[in-house]
Amino acid sequence: MIEALRSLFAPPRHFILLVAAMWIGLVLAERRTQHHGLTKDQLNNITFYSLIGFVIGGRVLFALTNLSAFSQSPLSIFSPNPDLFDPTSALVAAILVGLIYGQRQKLPLWGTLDAITPILAIIAIGLSLAHLAAGTAFGSQTDLPWGIDLWNATRHPTQIYELLTSLLIFSWLWLRKTVSPPGMLFVTFTALTAGSRLFLEAFHGDSTLIFGEYRLAQIMAWIILAAALGMSEKLRRKAN
Amino acid sequence: MIKYQRPLIIIFILSLGLAWIYVSANGSTKSDLTPAPQQGFFAPDFELQTTEGEMVKLSDLRGQAVLVNLWATWCPPCRAEMPVMDKIYNEYKDQGLVVLAVNMTYQDTASNIAPFIDEYGLTFPVLLDETDSVGSTYQLRSLPSSFFIDRDGVINEVVIGGPMAEALLRTRVEEILK
Repeated sequence: MIEALRSLFAPPRHFILLVAAMWIGLVLAERRTQHHGLTKDQLNNITFYSLIGFVIGGRVLFALTNLSAFSQSPLSIFSPNPDLFDPTSALVAAILVGLIYGQRQKLPLWGTLDAITPILAIIAIGLSLAHLAAGTAFGSQTDLPWGIDLWNATRHPTQIYELLTSLLIFSWLWLRKTVSPPGMLFVTFTALTAGSRLFLEAFHGDSTLIFGEYRLAQIMAWIILAAALGMSEKLRRKAN
Repeated sequence: MIKYQRPLIIIFILSLGLAWIYVSANGSTKSDLTPAPQQGFFAPDFELQTTEGEMVKLSDLRGQAVLVNLWATWCPPCRAEMPVMDKIYNEYKDQGLVVLAVNMTYQDTASNIAPFIDEYGLTFPVLLDETDSVGSTYQLRSLPSSFFIDRDGVINEVVIGGPMAEALLRTRVEEILK
C-alpha cells in the first residue's frame, strides 16, 4: 500500500496530492462558508489571491535571496522547476495577500479564519500523504513492529502518525455540533495541530536541533500552542 | 475555583509540553544516519566505468563537491539540462566541483551515448550504469535525478525531474562548495 503510493506519487508527482487537497478543502469549505459570514465568492477570491501570492511570493523571494545566481540567468525566474522556491516566504506572502484582500473587502477577520479552516485541515492531510510519497519528514530508527522500511532502515512511520492525527483533527472539527464564538474553530485547529506536532516531532529522524539538543519544530509548536490556547481563552471570555 | 479552572488546565498542558520537549531532546536525528539517497544522509558509494574506460569511485572524491546526475539519452529534460550543467561544471571545477553524469545504460541504447556526448560537447565524465547498480541504490523513480553532495559526502539536496534552471544549479552548487 505504502509502496504503491510512493511509486504512484513519487516526486515531483507528490505535488498532485497537495493540489488535490487544496481543491477538496475548498469544496468542503464552500459548504459552510455562509455560517461564518462570507459568501462563496469571497471565500474563493481570498483563496485564489492567497494562492497567487504564495506562488509568486515564494519564487520572487527565493530569487531575491539568491540574487547573484539569478542576475547571471534572469530567465530562470520563469522556470517551471519547483525547487526554485522558498516555502516560508511563500507562506508569509500568502498571509499578507489574504490580509490585504480581507481588509479591502471588509471581511470579518475571525469569520474568515473559521471559513478557511477546513481548507487548512485538508491541506494538512494532503501534506502528510505528500511526505509519505516523497519519503520526507521521516522518522527515527525503531524496533517497534509497526516501523516502516525507509532510507535503508526501519523507522517510525511519522508520516502515517501525521496522517492519522490530521484526519482526526479534521473529523473532530467538521463533525462538532456546538456553535462557537467567531474564531474558535480556527484557534482550536491551530492548537490541535501545534499540539500534535509538538508530540510527534519527538519521533522524527530529520529534526533541526537548536541549543545542541532541542528540536526546533517542538519549540515553535509550543509557542504556537501557547498563543492558540491563550487566544481561545480570550475568545471564550469575550463571548461570555 | 471554577474561574481559574481553564487557565490552570492551559498551564498544565503547556507544562506537559515543556516536559515532553525536555524528554525528547537529544533524540535520534541525522547523526545516526546510514547511507541513503536522501537529503541529509551520506551518499551511497558506487564505482562505475566512464565512457573513456576509467573507473570512478564516489568515495574517492571525498573533499570535493560532487553533482551526481542520473540520465538517459532518450529523456528530453535530461538532454535539455546538459548544456547548462556543462557550463556550470566549467565555471566551478577549479573550486572543487565534480560532475558525474551517470547514464542509465541498462535502459538506454549504448551506441547513442558517444554521439550524444559529441553533439553536446560534454566535458565532464559520463559513467555507465549497465546493471542498474546505481539506479537501484539511488532508488531512481524519475529521470533526470540529481544529487548534490557536499565535501563531507553528505547529500545536501536532491532534485527530481528537470530540466534544472541555471539559477537552481548555481545556488545548489555554491551551497555544496562551501
